[in-house]
Amino acid sequence: MASVDVRQVRKVYKRDAEEIVVLNGIDLQVPDGEFVALMGPSGSGKTTLLNLVAGIDRATSGSITVGQTNVTSLSEGELARWRSRNVGFIFQFYNLIPVLSAVENVELPLLLTSLSRSQRRERALTALKVVGLADRAKHYPRQLSGGQEQRVAIARAIVTDPSVIVADEPTGDLDAKSAEDILNLLDLLNREFKKTIVMVTHDPRAAGRAHVERHLEKGQLASSIVRREVTA
Amino acid sequence: MKFLPYVLKHLRRSWVRTLSTIVGMALCIFLICVLQTVLDAIRKTTEAADPSRVVTRHAVSLTFNMPLAYKPRIQGLAGVKRVAVSNWFGGVYRDMKDFFPNFAVESEDYFPMYPEYVVPPADYAAYLADMQGALVGRDVATKYGFKVGDSFQMESFIPPYRVSGPLKFNVRGIYDAPPGRKSSVNVGMMFFHYKYLYESVRGRRGVGSYAGAGTFSIQVSDPARANAVMKAIDTNFENSDVQTKTETEGAFLAGFIALTGNLVGLLNGVGLAVGFTILLVTANTMSMAVRERRTEIAVLKTLGFPSALVMGLILGEAFAIATASGVIGVVMARLAVGNLANLPFMGLLLGNFPALEVSPTVGLLTLSLAVVLGTGAGFVPALGAYRSRITEALRSI
Repeated sequence: MASVDVRQVRKVYKRDAEEIVVLNGIDLQVPDGEFVALMGPSGSGKTTLLNLVAGIDRATSGSITVGQTNVTSLSEGELARWRSRNVGFIFQFYNLIPVLSAVENVELPLLLTSLSRSQRRERALTALKVVGLADRAKHYPRQLSGGQEQRVAIARAIVTDPSVIVADEPTGDLDAKSAEDILNLLDLLNREFKKTIVMVTHDPRAAGRAHVERHLEKGQLASSIVRREVTA
Repeated sequence: MKFLPYVLKHLRRSWVRTLSTIVGMALCIFLICVLQTVLDAIRKTTEAADPSRVVTRHAVSLTFNMPLAYKPRIQGLAGVKRVAVSNWFGGVYRDMKDFFPNFAVESEDYFPMYPEYVVPPADYAAYLADMQGALVGRDVATKYGFKVGDSFQMESFIPPYRVSGPLKFNVRGIYDAPPGRKSSVNVGMMFFHYKYLYESVRGRRGVGSYAGAGTFSIQVSDPARANAVMKAIDTNFENSDVQTKTETEGAFLAGFIALTGNLVGLLNGVGLAVGFTILLVTANTMSMAVRERRTEIAVLKTLGFPSALVMGLILGEAFAIATASGVIGVVMARLAVGNLANLPFMGLLLGNFPALEVSPTVGLLTLSLAVVLGTGAGFVPALGAYRSRITEALRSI
């Protein structure tokens, strides 16, 4: 069964009387444990599709099912609760909270759980260990490099153990070496921790690490390249 | 509680702005607290007035004296139990900053009317026996180190009373408030014999000149009939050159305070303006804090923070700022208010109130005002955070 099932999704923005169709009848199925790269020119609707899958935006029509949940039918409150448990989001510009240390940033999503303070801290440190930054737990974002910040952001995305990770150009703001480290990390999460990953990227090298590349053009899925099947 | 460190860390992010907001708000709260304390003192003073006592003064103004011959005529009216002349002397001890209210009274008639001024009987007898004797309140004695037997001089700032230069006084007694009435009895005043003032003034400004009566303090036999007695007194002098105005002690005190203008209205008006300033200052700070954190708010929502919780965190920051400001403002007011009467010219007004201090009620009310206004001012920015859409906020990087 598909981990992410997008059916006939349309997204239309209204600007005054004008309607802008960003996504037009998208069908996308991402099986459990698959690593998908969404590519396409600017304005093709990649990020919009990603936002819909992550439940931070709403489709104009169509349905999106992630795991067992039809996210298009959830209320705002239910959607927030669902996101906190099921989706890890990685941003292009990391978006760490500057006044919080690395471990506090990672701990942030756990504040919404019933875990005790020590349990939260332990899990946050474990997540930092996974991304190789346990020794930087007390550092603030301004004391970290771009690559390190993105690794902290990845730790924040996985700390609640979500089934799906969505990444919006996670290497877009990084140098080649740091980008490679981040892609290795995503690869690890997919391979070892069986996370389903949907990644938007402009970078062909980044897309090359995915199992499947899907190309969008003018709001529609144009083509796909299957590199390798998901292994159980 | 688990979100508290998060709220506090955000306040530390721009600590200069947070600190200046807290200081600004604390000053506003300080001002409101002081103003409310003065209003509270005015209210307590008028409420503590004895219903059996009425005061007769010149109908035109308190600054004009009445003939002493009015006393027996008032005394002769039905329902009048006791009458005593009482004159505001306006004597200054050392310097204006050392001012405390002082009155020349007909002691033999005056003090039986005021049992709340408690003096040891032997001291009171010594006072009555000494023409230059003075009774000083406990606060005055403590502040200036007066002891029974001490002598000091005072000169009035009222021209007719200055004709014979400074008057010498001997401290013959120190009066206190009865237990349990310390907040309503003013022990910051001084009394001396009216006859001493009378003698020091008589004939000094020309033949026949004399001190006159500033007010007549009158005790009525039956407080229920006070209105009828007051009316009878004023009617009695209706067709004379010097007409009178008689009112209850409470109304007289309120009128005395009103000599400085509509003080209550003024203080309330200033308080209102200051309260509005608090609203603007906090609203501005919180708006800036929210505006510069649009992306972070979107990130929190992306992580699954419900909109209501995000709104709560913003309100929590406003609440923390407001509470800190309120506490600092009230503490500052508590420390400062006791010394207000020592400021130049403030003693003239505030010296008429019993122990001026920030009462728990005023402190709590002011603190509540700070919390409500401060948190309320954070409501609009917090609502903006509540309503913000994740995708739009993320795009605004």
